[in-house]
Amino acid sequence: MYGDLGYKLAQHAKRTQALAHLPPYQTELVREVTREVRDLDKDVSNILAPFQGSFNPSDEPATACAVLVNHLCMRRNKRCLLAYHRVRSDKLEEMCWSGKDVLDQTQQAANGLRQGNGDRSGMNTEAGSTNSLSPEEEEYTRQYSDMLAAYKGQWTDIDLTGSLEPPRDLFIDVRVLKDAGEIQTEYGAINLTKNSQFFVRQGDVERLIAQGYLQKLS
Amino acid sequence: MDIDDILAELDQDGLPQETRDLQQLTRAWVSERSAPEILPWPAPLMSRVLERIRRQIWGSKIELVEEQTGNVDPKINFRLIIIQTELERFKFLVRSFLRARIAKIDAYALHYLTDPAQSARLSPSETQYASTHQSLLSSHYRSSFLAQFPASLQRLDDTAGGMTMIETPDLDKAVFVRALTDTDEPIYVEGTDTYFEMKRGDVFVVRWNAVKSLVERGEAELI
Repeated sequence: MYGDLGYKLAQHAKRTQALAHLPPYQTELVREVTREVRDLDKDVSNILAPFQGSFNPSDEPATACAVLVNHLCMRRNKRCLLAYHRVRSDKLEEMCWSGKDVLDQTQQAANGLRQGNGDRSGMNTEAGSTNSLSPEEEEYTRQYSDMLAAYKGQWTDIDLTGSLEPPRDLFIDVRVLKDAGEIQTEYGAINLTKNSQFFVRQGDVERLIAQGYLQKLS
Repeated sequence: MDIDDILAELDQDGLPQETRDLQQLTRAWVSERSAPEILPWPAPLMSRVLERIRRQIWGSKIELVEEQTGNVDPKINFRLIIIQTELERFKFLVRSFLRARIAKIDAYALHYLTDPAQSARLSPSETQYASTHQSLLSSHYRSSFLAQFPASLQRLDDTAGGMTMIETPDLDKAVFVRALTDTDEPIYVEGTDTYFEMKRGDVFVVRWNAVKSLVERGEAELI
């Protein structure tokens, strides 16, 4: 009671900041903090009910103090919840910007986890392989990437999600890590087969490097 | 670009527009990256730069086509590489500039959206981005937990209890600044009794608030 759970959420948020991936959404914790807020609100109205709207804090310092503490706890819980969600949505946005397919990836991570668990627990992991995003977060990510695409569309020449490293060379050496099929460039088509090496224009292959198909050789 | 270029540039209105645009863009980029708050959107500059980028991309494509049709002139080829390298640099500048602004907008969206003086600094598409993003965020919060809150606690821009929920940029952040002209009057640092004068070329580390107006008038630049 009184903010313990909120503190846990804040700790989760703090930990999330340092992680490369997104840990599972704390559905239970969020629900409990929300419930706590509702309970506190109910307490406040119960305390204030006998006064029938004519409550004077200086007459009843003890009651006023109780109400104040409840109020502060509610606010604090709200802050913790907001912080927790903001940290997570920031992470999701970052993934959208770097061009990763967030929804796909978390699904894969969940699958990988399930495979790692082996056959022993194969029966009950079926239910455990759920996404580490909450349904609301999935929805948010989808809408955010739509919006990002729309905003990016106004800057087609610039390629907003491109590299933020200052360009040094126009052409770079790349090695193909995964088969990526054929790509079209201004200098003709290149067939990217695994383990081959190319000297290509950086702008043409930036996206593939970010997605892990190609590796830049220095 | 070093200090002499910048100082010399002040007296050289005779420079071609292209060169001045590049300097302005570089300066806008540097300032945007070091200033704690968002700076006014340089609309004319951006439209000129974007227009030029578009033309160059188009131009280099045409030359490429010519090249591919068998007419390989090493001189043209070399020129093309220079143009394209320069293009990539320009694109990087613009991209980094826009991303720096977006990062600030994301961090203080409500602050920029609610204050008309602040929202005037955004470009139309940025305003649109900011408001869409903000509404997405708040609907995300609402569906995640806020909907079950007591009505008095559902707002995201609450200022009750002496605390505002709207985060604002820290205008007292220290910045590095270089004077481009001599200052006429001493600069006072708000809240202290410190003041100083800047001569052309002087470099200072001061609070952003103190030199903000100078930078916006173009009498000093951030570095």
